Amino acid sequence: MEFPITGVTINPLLLAGIGFLVGILGGFFGVGGGFIAGPLMFWAGVPMNFVVGTDMAHMTGKSIVATRRHRALGHVDIKLGLLMVVGTILGVECGAQILEALKTVGSMDMVIGLIYIVILVVISAFTAWESLRALRMVREERIDVQEAMGFEGVAQRVYRINLPPMVSFPASGIASISLWVVLGVGFITGLLAGMLGVGGGFIRMPLLVYLIGIPTHVAVGTDLFEIVISAGYGTLTHAVKGNVDILMALVMQTGAAIGAQIGATSTRFFAGPRIRLFFSALPLVGALLVLFRLLSGGMLHF
Amino acid sequence: MERKKIRVLLRNLAIELIIYAILVIIYSIIVLRLLSEPLTQLFHTNLVTYAFAGLGLIVAQGALLDAVTSFLLKQLGLEQLE
Repeated sequence: MEFPITGVTINPLLLAGIGFLVGILGGFFGVGGGFIAGPLMFWAGVPMNFVVGTDMAHMTGKSIVATRRHRALGHVDIKLGLLMVVGTILGVECGAQILEALKTVGSMDMVIGLIYIVILVVISAFTAWESLRALRMVREERIDVQEAMGFEGVAQRVYRINLPPMVSFPASGIASISLWVVLGVGFITGLLAGMLGVGGGFIRMPLLVYLIGIPTHVAVGTDLFEIVISAGYGTLTHAVKGNVDILMALVMQTGAAIGAQIGATSTRFFAGPRIRLFFSALPLVGALLVLFRLLSGGMLHF
Repeated sequence: MERKKIRVLLRNLAIELIIYAILVIIYSIIVLRLLSEPLTQLFHTNLVTYAFAGLGLIVAQGALLDAVTSFLLKQLGLEQLE
């Protein structure tokens, strides 16, 4: 079928299939899935300038479906998500400005790419180590698997920061936390996303669990809620620049919607540590894709 | 998880997949053909309107797909796993 906006011919079932795959990942892990959807869309023949914008558009729709499902399961902290968005937007803008300033320096693509790989590998290794430790604790100490956390030190220290104003998040089980911590987490995620040109799901989900100390299921749902707002904003800005094929995004969304529902519903059948263990593989995939891009672009040699 | 629950979950999954496969085909045949021309025209004439129309369509489709499948699953008596 021909998509007249981009002028390319692609089988709509292939696009729906890509959406389906990314939808499952998004619904289950609370990530946007751009790191997989982007290369797949490009491989399917979508022009590069349309890949990012169209992916954002379908991500918005998919995240709406997944967020609604997570909300029905009680996994979305709206207040936390809305407050974090403020920090995220500031961070994205700062990240984009830093990136522009660094463009004047040579080899920046390689440096940013390598920093990104290091961050992703660290997140992956840490999440895997912590979730395996939590699962061992469940086996040996017979504690509730949903509550098990192999690493709580940072969250406990964060709660002791008494920098006003203090806020509470009853939906996440947090009695009192400094607002600046929440804004800071949003800012760091946005900064990295703005600098590295990727969505922040990779980074935000672990930060919500380990730094803010909210349950994994709520982290997934709240992360998706934030993606709805940030991807919706991204869709508008990219569409105004002529980089979104809405027809393609609508087709992708049909697949993504079912995938997101399946992914979101599936979280009910897995405990927090297991979700985190599965999640730990995702940043590695992202790191490998960046490494491949650096090698194929001739920016890195062995 | 009990074997019976897994069986119901798989049935739930299969039904949702069939519903969505049908929706994808309907979209390709009817909706896209209807929207194709006006959206392409809008893309070439007014990008701001196109951007808001596009976002509106995405949001509306997301809400619609969610509502349709939830309704069908309820009608089929499979909502216990939701």
